[in-house]
Amino acid sequence: MIDLYILLGLIVIGYVVGQYLEQRHYRSIKQRERDFIGLATTTSKRPIGKIPDPSRVELVEGACVISVDYFKRFVARLRMFFGGNVRSYETLVDRARREAVLRLKAKCSNADQVINLRIETSSITKGRRNQVGSIEVHAYATAIYI
Amino acid sequence: MKYSPGLPEKNCNVSTEHPLKEFFVLLIGAISILLAVLLLLGLFVDLAVQYIDPKLESELFGSFTSDDESSPNEQEQELQSLLDRLGECIDVGYPVVVRINESDQMNAFAMPGGSIVVLSALLDKVKTENGLAFVLAHELGHFKNRDHLRGLGRSIVLLTISVLLTGANSDISALLTPVYNAEAAQYSQDRESNADAIALHALNCHYGHVGGAAEFFEIIAAPEYDLDWSLTHYFSSHPEAQKRINDLDTLARSQGYAVQ
Amino acid sequence: MLITNTEEIPGKQIVECHGVVAGSTVRAKHAGRDIMAGLKNLVGGELKGYTELLIEAREEAHSRMREQAEQLGANAIVNVRFSTSSVAAGASEIYIYGTAVTVR
Repeated sequence: MIDLYILLGLIVIGYVVGQYLEQRHYRSIKQRERDFIGLATTTSKRPIGKIPDPSRVELVEGACVISVDYFKRFVARLRMFFGGNVRSYETLVDRARREAVLRLKAKCSNADQVINLRIETSSITKGRRNQVGSIEVHAYATAIYI
Repeated sequence: MKYSPGLPEKNCNVSTEHPLKEFFVLLIGAISILLAVLLLLGLFVDLAVQYIDPKLESELFGSFTSDDESSPNEQEQELQSLLDRLGECIDVGYPVVVRINESDQMNAFAMPGGSIVVLSALLDKVKTENGLAFVLAHELGHFKNRDHLRGLGRSIVLLTISVLLTGANSDISALLTPVYNAEAAQYSQDRESNADAIALHALNCHYGHVGGAAEFFEIIAAPEYDLDWSLTHYFSSHPEAQKRINDLDTLARSQGYAVQ
Repeated sequence: MLITNTEEIPGKQIVECHGVVAGSTVRAKHAGRDIMAGLKNLVGGELKGYTELLIEAREEAHSRMREQAEQLGANAIVNVRFSTSSVAAGASEIYIYGTAVTVR
């Protein structure tokens, strides 16, 4: 019986605290995206429009590792039994990607353009078969300074 | 080419549905499936058990009997003769042997293959022959109902199914285990009540009265009062001691058994 | 909505660039497919159930990316790249990203 109570307690804590932290993170992400909106970013190899020869060109990177709370983990477990869209992980991957790209932009906030943006994703597992719920995103691109 | 950026108002990569809704829908779905599987399992096992007759059982499980090869001591011989006399009232279909094991717990078990193990603390606490007879008759009742086989069959099949579906060591079993335990406990409590009833009939058949039958429960009922969150009685495999005493009283009265 | 993984769309000219758009989904297979895959591991060959699963996931990610590009007012997405990873044992995540542009 005590196992059940512990489980329920963890789920409740995971839900309440997790939701709060996630909302806070999203607010920060949206704010920073607004700040960086002037920085032209593209996944193409060529810069946008015609630009004079750049004075400096460098590789910039941003990375982060994000994990889900216990409530989401639990819901995902149930979902993986039935199949379909694992909705509880959607915010995880969304946050992780946007955060990695924002960190990349923060490193080159003075640049004029950021080109050839690429994003690498991997999941962190300790090797145990059922370890779930964290994702590592690594974004890299070339920053052009005119 | 000009650069005209924008930020999308709606984030298409996340769904707007409330997470709790998904949680409850999935949870209720999983629990219903589990309960359905358990019910089917119960029916299936009950059906299968009827096909294992006592001779087959003693062939299959003969090796389960106690590995104490020494000849029975005096206490064991006494118990054995009591058991044999009770056996005239309850027909189990194969010979049942009783052994005593040293332990400070008060309990007795029915093992597949036809052996009853009585723990020594029970013999110390239960003083009257009637009380002992009830305990032995209760175990004989389990044999008659083939309860030991049912328990074995259910656990094996359920373990197989759950490993197949959710993978070994899965977290999901942490949640579904209480549901399974609750159902198994209810099933087990039913079987225990059945065994109690058979034991009462046997006592009446052998002694002509049923006084002292509830002695065992009266002994263990006393210290059982403790503060709990009142769900434990759903999860324990035996009905509460007081309930069993009450049930025995009711049954005795309805059958017209004398108490002295 | 034109979607390509080239720098330019042959025959058209890019007039506006709207930035990077992306679509992602996380999909899991149900327990039945798991069991069938386990059995298929004995004999080898294509795991049709999983193939279908990933195709569906990619289509959904595609449509999310298209929706995001439409919100920005683009009519084409160039330089599209894919990324697949497994977020959890039993669920895989598809991520598609590209540059949303207006072409004429």
